[in-house]
Amino acid sequence: MGEHGVLKVEIQQTVPNPLSIKLEVEAGELHALVGPSGSGKTSILRSIAGLHKPESGLIECANHAWFNRDPMRGPILNLKANQRSCGFLFQQYALFPHLSALDNVCIALYTKGIGPQERRLQAQEWLDQLNIGELSERLPKQLSGGQQQRVALARALARSPHVLLLDEPFSAIDIPTRQRLYQTLASLRKQLNIPIILVTHDLREANLLADRITVIDQGVGLQTAAPQTLFTKPRNARVAQLVGMPNLFHGVFNCGTLSWGSSPWVFQINDKGKIPPDSQVAWVIPQEGLSVHRDLANHRIPCQVRHISTLGQIALIEFSIENVDEALTWEASAAEVKRLQLEKDARVFLELETKRIHIMPLRPINDPRRFMSALTSASLE
Amino acid sequence: MLDTQAIALSLQLAFWTLIILIPFGIWIAYLLAQAGPWKSWAEAALALPLVLPPTVLGYYFIVTFAGKSLFGEPLVFSFTGLLIASIIVNLPFAIQPIQRAYEAIPAEIREAAKVSGLSTWQRFRLIELPLAWRGIVSGAAMTFAHTLGEFGVVLMVGGAIPGETKTASIAIYDKVQSFDTAGAGTLSLILLVISLIAMAISYGIFGKSHGGTRRA
Repeated sequence: MGEHGVLKVEIQQTVPNPLSIKLEVEAGELHALVGPSGSGKTSILRSIAGLHKPESGLIECANHAWFNRDPMRGPILNLKANQRSCGFLFQQYALFPHLSALDNVCIALYTKGIGPQERRLQAQEWLDQLNIGELSERLPKQLSGGQQQRVALARALARSPHVLLLDEPFSAIDIPTRQRLYQTLASLRKQLNIPIILVTHDLREANLLADRITVIDQGVGLQTAAPQTLFTKPRNARVAQLVGMPNLFHGVFNCGTLSWGSSPWVFQINDKGKIPPDSQVAWVIPQEGLSVHRDLANHRIPCQVRHISTLGQIALIEFSIENVDEALTWEASAAEVKRLQLEKDARVFLELETKRIHIMPLRPINDPRRFMSALTSASLE
Repeated sequence: MLDTQAIALSLQLAFWTLIILIPFGIWIAYLLAQAGPWKSWAEAALALPLVLPPTVLGYYFIVTFAGKSLFGEPLVFSFTGLLIASIIVNLPFAIQPIQRAYEAIPAEIREAAKVSGLSTWQRFRLIELPLAWRGIVSGAAMTFAHTLGEFGVVLMVGGAIPGETKTASIAIYDKVQSFDTAGAGTLSLILLVISLIAMAISYGIFGKSHGGTRRA
């Protein structure tokens, strides 16, 4: 499939929406960009494809520059979209409505310097590989959403692109069909061996498919990490909030001692001495670090059941703790709820495994730039 | 007696107007469909023939063309002059439907064509033109019908020289003036039928299979 290599992206702009991002995606890596809508994910993807021109930055793939605005780093250039080797998948498929599935794929081979017979042959091979070979003569409007996205994927891949860009490609597709497309993508990526970027607002999707995830908020990349790291060690409170961590609390950290809100509870935490004394911090604790007991013992915190919601065999229990503003959420099996005789207003005892507590700096509100410098100086990993 | 000469001349004028105006209109409409700071002014200028009285247009044609010739043909009171006037008068009728058809193509479709590696010309030929074809047929039919029906400008620029500038619409006027009601009636009916067919084409009797106005 031609030469493969790393995709390097550095983009800065202030208008129309601020963007400040640096990414490196390896060949064969599936890298997800997640963030709330309007966070700039799609602008990044469009900049890579040449559909949007950022103010400054550098975009290169397999050591070929596609975009550069810095004379110190090479000649200034901005290749047109059709000169970049990108496969792009749109949210609404964007198939050519007047052309059959086969011709939609043939179009992408038009500039490959091969004859019409060979084009049709190759296009048919791609449709076969994506399990829609028998639908090749249909027009887009005669295909379901999932089938249209498969045609669009065949079209994107037919050019043997050096990068594959996926702009929320599954969001318009019903869930069972989406699962099958996930499998198709997962099996294809091994064979492709090119950088793949997936833009999504669905964290579960990112977690399922991606090797690494970059969390983006207001145009700024907050953290790039493997999904597991991201969900256990978010770099700051905002990341924890964006990845939807249920138990995010505030406190004060002073030389190894974390105090919880205005409660008397303190935890001894090992840190690397990077947090200045008496700092306001945010902290999280994963479900594995929590246990609930009927009887009091040392280090157990009294609490009261505020709310129980049962979802099949799983129950989500909210506890309130005296002098702590936020509720703590605990996920338990129905059997455990029964064993502990948990019901609304029941009084029980919580135990927090301190070595699983992860503390983070707070994010200054509404100032991503100031935050960037705070980020680099206060990394806790 | 049926004035076949006038009918033939009208059809000839409509035919040549179409042949010259449509390729030109496709290009102008394509440019207009792209947003630009000059867009509103260009659109306004092109729409002038819709609002100005034919006497104003005719006056400017005569002033501009008087004493000038093209390929040895004089431009006033000649078929060539009439053709040029007809092309200019028909600009909005040809361009507007084509422009609307281009504008109805979703931005994502154009972008998909770009990232599929197509150059500007390839995108135009393989994607945009086929998606806008209903607008082009509509613009052509409007132009044809409007040329047959044009009266004021033809009278001002062409006069009424039989076989040269006396089109069917002028001939009808002449016949009414000379109390030839039967002759005027026959010519009127013929014009009416041809125009009805042209307008029906313009309003889309070709079906709505895959036109440019469809969402992707």
